[in-house]
This record gives sequence, C-alpha cells and structure tokens, in this order.
Amino acid sequence: MAVTAVHQLAQCITCHAWSADRSMVALCPNNSEVHIYRLVEDKWEKVHVLQKHDQIISGIDWGARSNKIVTASHDRNSYVWNLERSEWVPTLVILRLNRAALCVQWSPKENKFAVGSGAKTVCICYYEQENNWWVSKLIRKRHDSSVTSVSWHPDNILVASTSTDGKCRIFSTFIKGVDARDPKKESRFGELIVQLDLSSSWTFGVKWSPSGNTLAYVGHNSVIYFVDDVGPSPLAQNVVFRDLPLRDVLFVSEKMVIGVGYDCIPMVFAADERGIWSFIRYLGERKAVSSGSRYGSQFSEAFGKFYGQAKLGVSNDAVETSRTRGVVHENCINSIIPLSRQGTQIRRFSTSGLDGKIVMWDLETEQDLLELLVH
Amino acid sequence: MAKAERFVEADNAEAIITRIEHKSRKIESLLKQYKPVEALKTALEGTYAMTGDERCKSAHWIVVHRTIMAIKDVDGMLSSLDPEYYDILMKYLYRGLATGDRPTCDQCLRIHEKLTEKAGLGCILRFLTDTVNTV
Repeated sequence: MAVTAVHQLAQCITCHAWSADRSMVALCPNNSEVHIYRLVEDKWEKVHVLQKHDQIISGIDWGARSNKIVTASHDRNSYVWNLERSEWVPTLVILRLNRAALCVQWSPKENKFAVGSGAKTVCICYYEQENNWWVSKLIRKRHDSSVTSVSWHPDNILVASTSTDGKCRIFSTFIKGVDARDPKKESRFGELIVQLDLSSSWTFGVKWSPSGNTLAYVGHNSVIYFVDDVGPSPLAQNVVFRDLPLRDVLFVSEKMVIGVGYDCIPMVFAADERGIWSFIRYLGERKAVSSGSRYGSQFSEAFGKFYGQAKLGVSNDAVETSRTRGVVHENCINSIIPLSRQGTQIRRFSTSGLDGKIVMWDLETEQDLLELLVH
Repeated sequence: MAKAERFVEADNAEAIITRIEHKSRKIESLLKQYKPVEALKTALEGTYAMTGDERCKSAHWIVVHRTIMAIKDVDGMLSSLDPEYYDILMKYLYRGLATGDRPTCDQCLRIHEKLTEKAGLGCILRFLTDTVNTV
C-alpha cells in the first residue's frame, strides 16, 4: 500500500508543514494557533504551541534551510517565527492587506516569501537587514478576485498565482538588493509575465515542475491544467477527470503529478513520451463497487430520491460510512507536501485534510508508478 | 459602428441557424433509419461553435431534444458515444430537466443516471461551473 502512516492529530487541519529533518510537523488545527508536534518513539508529542494570530491560519511554510516558519492568517497578518533556544519568537510582517491572507510560501532561496490574499493581491516580503524587519511589497497588478495559491519558480524570481477569477498569473518579483541581476531576464518587480486564461471556474493549487518548465494547476470544474514551456507561447493541456475537483497538486517528478482534493484519494497524472498528460490511476484502493454504494450512504440516498427509486432497501450501503469514498482520508484533502527528494524526484509525501489526519505516502511500493517516474 | 456590428452578428446567427436546419434534416433521416445514436452524435457535434445568441441556442436545443427523446436503449447509446461528448450531453440534459415537461424530464433523468455512472460527478461539476459555454 502506498500509505506508510496515518496520524490523527486534530479534528480538522487547514495546513501543515514539515521541519527540514522531517522530525517535526507544524499544523493549524482549524483555529488561530500553530501546533508543532515531534515524533518521539512512534508517538506524536505536542512540543510547541504558537499563539499570536487572532484568526484561523490559512498557510504555514517551514523553511528547510533557514528553519524559519512563516504563517499567514485570516487576520490579514503574517508572522515569521525564529527558533531561539527552545522558544519560537514571532516577528510581525506588516502586509498592508485589508482582507485575509490565504496562502504563503517561502521562495527556493528562502530570502523572500509570497502571500496570496483575499484583497486580490500577492505580497512579496523580503528581509531588510538595516532595519531588522520584513518588508512587504504588493504586486500592483491585481487579480480580479481572491488569490488562492502561490508557487515559486526554481529561479527565485517568478511566482505563479491562481485566483478564484479562473486565471493563473505569473509575476516577476525581482527586488534590487535581494536578487542578483540576470542579464538574460530583465524584469521589473510586479511585471506580469504570462496570464493563463484556461479555466472558467475557481483555480487552486498551482505548482511548478522541478525544472520550472511546466506548470500545473487545478480548476473547480474537475479539470487539471498543464502548461508546458511557460512563456510567450505556452502549450496548454486540459485533462478532464471524472471525480470531484482537486485542491492541490505536487510534481513528484518532471513527468508525474499527484493531485489531491474532495475525493479523498490522491490521483496520479503522468505525461507520456509525446508530452501528453493523462490520468493514470488512484493511489491506494478505491472500492470498485456497483453504482449505488460507491458514494456512501448519504450520496446514494440523495441519488435515490433524485431517480425516484427506493435505494434504501435495495443495497446494504446504509451500513457503510464514508469509508467507501476514500480508504484513508475521510474528508477533503487540502494540501500535499513533499517529504523526501531523490534528485528531482519525490518518493515520499504527506497529505493533510479536513478530517484532521496527516497521512504519509510512499511511492516505493507502487511499481508501475516508479517505472513511469524513472522515464 | 454599433449597427454594423449587430449586422454581422445577425448574419453569423443566420448562418448558424441554416446549418442547424441542414443538420436537422440529416437527423430526421437518421431517425427514420432507426439510428438514434448516430442522430444524437450529429446533433451534439459543432455545438461548441455556437454564439451566445438565444435563437441559435434554442434551435440547437430543439434538434438535440428531438434526438434525446428518440433514444430507447440508453446503455447502448452511452457505450458508443465518444467521451468528449459527455460534458455537452450533460448540459443538454439539464436544459431538458429545466423544461418541466413530464416526458422530457423522465427521459433526461433516465439518461442522467447512466451518464453520471459513466462520466462521474466531474461531468456534473463541469456543467455547474461553466458559465461561459451555456446551452
């Protein structure tokens, strides 16, 4: 089985992030705190509670190199936490937002971080040595609606952001003094490089491939979009799939993507030799049962009413609970984080969801997927 | 200027309606030959090239409605229909369900059940979220 461990750490988890050595995990249990758990001899112990935000924390990222945690919350603030001796000390970052912060991510070099907000803007924050504080620069070009997800290109300059207006926009975040000037790519801060208008519904979960050549993001219309050769003439592909929409994706290699979402089971997508992306399979078993019971008792009752048949007596799914939908997660999975890298491939990753579980997955046991990874 | 644009729009719509009339003759002949699946495929083809014009949409709907009502073997029809037509068929089914007319609704509901089995909930979601290409 691809699942190596299931940890029920809270009733509901909004986001999570791992420390560099993967011994500690920081998560938000759907309130205004960050709980940090450490794995001590097979049991998870809550070692720290970070309390500073006033409202729910929508994004956490833990810098692997700098060991700093950045949190973004609906209270329109962001804090950068430093570990001093054994206490996490927060530093407020004034984002100058008038709406909630929805997502946050450290840049690859961890000298900047990007925050997406409900104020339709993306803020880029960097550390100013002279004044010993984090400065936030707003990208002037606004989306038409809330920014749901941000992702950094490996070059530390470009950032992709998705929004509920259906568009994915890629901005340059070149900051004088922080980034090295690249004569090949002259760009100003906040310049809109590409605007991708592939979806007519909300978009989430944008990620770059390890080389930065391909971009993937999902729409709320159960479609996943892949864009190759991001630039003046991108090649876009829509992959339509049969189930409920996804919320987040992860590139496990240049040619394979894992998507997670409302169907509670990760879905694997891969590109073949011609570069055409398609759905491969689910990770973990999905019960192949007859039409009525596959959706669980609530769904089949609803469908039964819809089709005017008494489905209650016909099938025995009144006994089955949500287990028929996902084997491991019982509710929507809303984030997927890599755990270990081998070169540019990710073999192990973790998912967290609204059911309060953090599940660790390992692709080592999935032979057919490993073969696809290698090519 | 605006008047000229409206002229062009109307011409476009007229051209589309003429095309739909041709299609409908072809469909009638297919139905007479007891080929309802072929008829449905012909009806669904080219619907994406439609404008936002209400008359075109209605004309298209009339043609598709005719073929939907002629389907007797739903399973057979779905197994021979290309997956690329699932989304557009789902949109027309919902339009049928919205009419409130008993025989249309019965037929659409029957097809909806099987189509959902085949195409999954994603198909329904694509109908719900697509506010640009409506039928």
